[in-house]
Amino acid sequence: MTGLVRKIHIWAGLLVLSQLAIYGIAGLTAGVYASRARPNRPRSVRHVSFTPPANATDRQVAGLIYQQLRLPFTRPMPDWFLRHTTDHHLLLDFYNINGIYRVTVLEDEQRLRIEEIRNNLWLFMEDIHAATLADDGAPMPVRLWALWNEVALWSLAGFCLSGAWLWLATSRRHPWAWSALAAGSLAFAILWGTLR
Amino acid sequence: MYRTLRTIHLLAGAFALPMLLMYATSAVQMAHPGWFRLKPAVSESRFTLPAGSNDGRRLAYNLMAARNISGELQQLRSTAQGYEFRIVRPGTVHEIRYDHLTGATHLQTLASPFIGVLNRLHHAAGMAHHDYLPLTMWGVLVALASMATVTLAGTGVWMWWLRRQQRRSGLILVGANLAFTLAVFLILRLG
Repeated sequence: MTGLVRKIHIWAGLLVLSQLAIYGIAGLTAGVYASRARPNRPRSVRHVSFTPPANATDRQVAGLIYQQLRLPFTRPMPDWFLRHTTDHHLLLDFYNINGIYRVTVLEDEQRLRIEEIRNNLWLFMEDIHAATLADDGAPMPVRLWALWNEVALWSLAGFCLSGAWLWLATSRRHPWAWSALAAGSLAFAILWGTLR
Repeated sequence: MYRTLRTIHLLAGAFALPMLLMYATSAVQMAHPGWFRLKPAVSESRFTLPAGSNDGRRLAYNLMAARNISGELQQLRSTAQGYEFRIVRPGTVHEIRYDHLTGATHLQTLASPFIGVLNRLHHAAGMAHHDYLPLTMWGVLVALASMATVTLAGTGVWMWWLRRQQRRSGLILVGANLAFTLAVFLILRLG
């Protein structure tokens, strides 16, 4: 039985190796970036000709721009996300897995200013680690990642159980392991009690 | 070498076990929100504080001391009537409205169920930006658990490689995983 559990533990671990590493990196990234604002400076700026139809609402303009630009890995702009700059230009932030495409509708100049604000690789991994199948509207590559993530999150629960099994079956008397478990559990319990 | 790696793997896993269980459980909740009830329990109370307070931050800290409320002060803003602010702990949000003229204070508390607390703890991280010490300490624990997770992945792969009898089957699995990861990353980052 222990041999079978060990095989499953190893095989499942290899099958979701990248996801587990990314979970760890995402946790460290969140620790660093939670205290800072995300990047807000554009990596590139370009302009595209655009004339909004007469009498079109902001919503219709946003939909038209989404259709026309087809910016990678973006999705249609929800109504509540429509904003305006201080000089009253329509401002559309198309969020995506790599950051933001910030589109400003310069109606008087008949063009769009498109700024690409790009997250670094660490923030990308923090965001991709959170992809789930519950997000129906995500782009296909993100959905595929979410599918593998689904396997990984169930595997994570399985590793906890199978790891505990392997420990108790093979190294039960390891004193440092019990100390490590006690330290982790105590820290968790104290903070749980305090935060509750 | 194998014994050393196994010991490191075991210690990292044993230390991080409660956190990993918390992350796994809350990840299942987030992946399948329909399976769980997250509706918070709401309670309200009204009371009077000294009128005329013109320092919102001090008002909030006095209220926390007087009503034995702990948490992080968030979204403090001045309104036409007085102040509004929130005091937040993972899973518990206190929303407070204070009337500057009369001192009348309205406190609404939203308390999440157990799984909701796990969800909030999953999202709590960072060591530098909290003015509530337990959250800073939680950030430290998250960082340790994250390092343990990377350690588990690294030592796990290394141990597998040393187990010659499982190299071939493992290579197929890890190869598939790495190829998939590389492909998705390239598509997403270069697409």
